[in-house]
Amino acid sequence: APISHRSAYCAASVASLTNILTPALFAGTAEWIARCQNWEGGIGGVPGMEAHGGYTFCGVAALVILKKEHLLNLRSLLHWVTRRQMRFEGGFQGRCNKLVDGCYSFWQAGLLPLIHRALHARGDTALSMAHWMFDQSALQEYILLCCQCPAGGLLDKPGKSRDFYHTCYCLSGLAIAQHFGSGDLHHEVVLGVPENRLQATHPVYNITPEKVVRAVMHFLQQPVPSLEPAA
Amino acid sequence: DEIGLIPCPEARYNRSPIVLVENKLGVESWCVKFLLPYVHNKLLLYRQRKQWLNKDELIDITCTLLMLNPDFTTAWNVRKELILSGTLNPLKDLHLGKLALTKFPKSPETWIHRRWVLQQLIQENSLPSLVTKGNLEAAPVERIHGLVQEEMNVCSEAAGRYPSNYNAWSHRIWVLQHLGKLTVKVLLDELSSTKYWVSTHVSDHSGFHYRQFLLKSLLGRTVTDNNVLVQNQMVNEQNPSLQKEEEEGAGAEAACAEEQNVDLPRRLEEELELCTELIDTYPGHETLWCHSDETLSNSHHSPATSHMAQAMDVDGLNESSSKQGYTQETKRLKRAPVQDSLGPEVEYRFIDKVLSTCRDADQARFATAYRKWLVTFLSQ
Repeated sequence: APISHRSAYCAASVASLTNILTPALFAGTAEWIARCQNWEGGIGGVPGMEAHGGYTFCGVAALVILKKEHLLNLRSLLHWVTRRQMRFEGGFQGRCNKLVDGCYSFWQAGLLPLIHRALHARGDTALSMAHWMFDQSALQEYILLCCQCPAGGLLDKPGKSRDFYHTCYCLSGLAIAQHFGSGDLHHEVVLGVPENRLQATHPVYNITPEKVVRAVMHFLQQPVPSLEPAA
Repeated sequence: DEIGLIPCPEARYNRSPIVLVENKLGVESWCVKFLLPYVHNKLLLYRQRKQWLNKDELIDITCTLLMLNPDFTTAWNVRKELILSGTLNPLKDLHLGKLALTKFPKSPETWIHRRWVLQQLIQENSLPSLVTKGNLEAAPVERIHGLVQEEMNVCSEAAGRYPSNYNAWSHRIWVLQHLGKLTVKVLLDELSSTKYWVSTHVSDHSGFHYRQFLLKSLLGRTVTDNNVLVQNQMVNEQNPSLQKEEEEGAGAEAACAEEQNVDLPRRLEEELELCTELIDTYPGHETLWCHSDETLSNSHHSPATSHMAQAMDVDGLNESSSKQGYTQETKRLKRAPVQDSLGPEVEYRFIDKVLSTCRDADQARFATAYRKWLVTFLSQ
């Protein structure tokens, strides 16, 4: 049955962090999302629809949580998303032939860490051990130079007004662009002064990795809720 | 037939802010900050059961609200209740939605509500005769066809009002799938009626993507229909009496040979020609190159032509005159027995021509990328 990729992503995020994820809960979800991958390589709202950055991120992230990312054609997905980085602006567009938008700094660029991890898990030997497969510096330039409101906050593109949504996703995208990998493989690329450096963000949940660990640990220690109604 | 906001920060005269000119409804902007909270509040009070509103008031209030802010889901939901209780004619909501879309062509809630209404309408047996008040009831097939056409118009207009209008094109696809049942006729009609539109909106990726959807659906259709046709023939040979029933049952989508015989290779070639023409006329639009890529890819993978891939007449290709123009070549090559394998050769020539004559940097880049893609694609 048709579901919204956003809902699936939210549900999968919550369920996995709180340790209530069961196969029954997401029966058929992964297959549905995979069916929404189209000839362009990205994911659309429903099967047959145009590939769209927002839906693609939510779909892919949900699949990563459900450990079913290999249902997708990762190669065409990679091809699609890398072509969404704009040659001149450095930022990303949401769909082919559309304008750049700061929020896609996360929705689109955020796909590269996910794809990187999936390909690595498959044993791909050609993967870089220091950089994501997009131009990290160019994206940082776009965000820092074009997406900041002088009064504070971030935005879509010059000329637009600031809002919380764009502030959130421009910063998230900036964090993705600055940090590659984690632990031993962590490699930073910070454009401009050191003060520009943000904390790394978890590419699936978009909160700091430490918070993800803490949440998972916390809920693992709780008893799993029963399906019976409370007495 | 259209609504809009008239920028007018102050009420200068003591008169109504509603302006109606040539069937277009305008509201002076100064009154919105009074009107919107007023109707909004009234509706919320009703919903919270603190203040009763009768059906006419509800219809008026929700109508006003939605023309000011069509993404107010609650208002659409109140109207759903009115429709289900038989008090409100669903066709009115289609009209209201259409009006709202003239000002808010993307409004997600409007499109969502529209699909709900259409679903109600096609289950017409469950609805009271409100819908056909006073008129002779049109045959269901014609009514549905009428609905589909109207939806195509609404989508087209909304797509024209906002570039790459994802929601409008999504809706269009949904209508074809659920109301139009993706019949060959509907798909072919849409292919021809959107041809002009995409030619005048060459950067509208959604529009071209729609054509890909149509072509792919036709591809899927021809395969299924050919299978069904074969099966029908087998069944009919065994049971002549069944044959008549099946033919009648098929209805408008008659199982006759001509209808099923969509010349798909020809369609794909036409699509490629369209792309080429547009690429030549409007250099530097990535959408057109993408569309070209995919169309060529389809023409290689379509079942109708894939069996020909083996019999490639390479000599015939090399001898073809390069002095003739692109379109001339296409027509001449078409007469050769093996059509699909000639596609790439023609494309190579086209690319080389573009690269040698274009002055637009983007165009050159797209052409080079396309060439690289062709090489990879053909080596598979």
